[in-house]
Amino acid sequence: MKTNRETSLAATKTMFRLPTFHRPNRQRGALAALVLLLGALQLQLFVSTALAESSTVGKSGAAQPWSVQVDRVDPGNVGLEPSFGVAIYESLLEELAKTGQFKQLFRSGDRNANDVPNLLILKTAVQKYTPGSETRRAVTTVNGATKLNVRIQLVTREGHVVLENVVDGNVRFIGGNLRATHNLAHNVAVTLKRSTLPE
Amino acid sequence: MNRNPIPPTQTPVTSLQVGHGLACVAFLLSVSAASIGQTQSEAQSPVPGPPAIHVTHVLGFDGERHNANGDLKIQGSAVQFQRDGKPTAQVNISSIQDIFVEDEDKQVGGTAMTLGKTAAPFGGGRVVSLFAHKKYDFLTVEYLDNNGGFHGAIFQLDKGQGQTFKKDLVANGAHITPPTDRAITQSTPEVKHENK
Repeated sequence: MKTNRETSLAATKTMFRLPTFHRPNRQRGALAALVLLLGALQLQLFVSTALAESSTVGKSGAAQPWSVQVDRVDPGNVGLEPSFGVAIYESLLEELAKTGQFKQLFRSGDRNANDVPNLLILKTAVQKYTPGSETRRAVTTVNGATKLNVRIQLVTREGHVVLENVVDGNVRFIGGNLRATHNLAHNVAVTLKRSTLPE
Repeated sequence: MNRNPIPPTQTPVTSLQVGHGLACVAFLLSVSAASIGQTQSEAQSPVPGPPAIHVTHVLGFDGERHNANGDLKIQGSAVQFQRDGKPTAQVNISSIQDIFVEDEDKQVGGTAMTLGKTAAPFGGGRVVSLFAHKKYDFLTVEYLDNNGGFHGAIFQLDKGQGQTFKKDLVANGAHITPPTDRAITQSTPEVKHENK
């Protein structure tokens, strides 16, 4: 006759026998893994949705509805050489195209711009111009810089000023004088990129 | 009375002489006709345009890459930029609105020379820079595309070639604006703040 102690020992042995021990634990483990998997899936779904939402917002925020027409450069009364005016104009078109900020980019006088909605006109007026010398820069380093200072305006067709700023473009060390126009156009593009345009 | 007939002083025109005269006239006519024909054929043959000049395209010419070396040539009614003898970009001369020529002093040798001068010890690079420069002509051409869009192109030429090429372009139908008109047209006023 088995005593109570033996019975309980046998029961304990049965309980702690390896296959018996593993069966419920395996079930629990599977359940835990399923819960973890579902959690991870939910997290992944949430993250991906959030990312998609943020990218959509970013895209809609970055893709402005505005198109821009670059007007010819107003040389003012600072004795700007014609090549500089042309170089600023062409460099502006290149740099603005690089930023991708505007939907479409038009040249001054382009008839295709007449029917485009939400068109802004970029006006550039030279305020200060210091002609430099590449040779003087190369010989002295501190002298002979070419400096440009322009006022830019983004204007609607109706004549409302959307944005106004003053931008510099210089060449101080290495490069020809026309490099100042490239630097200026780059600075203008950066300024426009940083500014917020109305919806 | 026997009257002796006086022999005529002028000999009668013989058929031989008439024949000679006709031959002379025919010869003269043929010579003159030939010369007229030659003149006409000379006028109809195409006048060779001005020779191509070696330039560096600085920027803006119909999508051509910056600082590309090539030749600028007037070909018929267009001005062409050619690389290795092949035209890579061209613009109709009649679409040219204005042409400017400026001269400017530039350092020669490019990037390699600049780096060499920078690396030279004891300020040797500065001394080199003092002599390593050359004057160039800068030809600025303003023109319109088919949509009326304004373009500007800049070319770097050897000194003295700019004015010659400008004259050639004008002779072939390019427009240029007199300086007085330019001063008026370029003063596009800024928009005042009151619109803001």
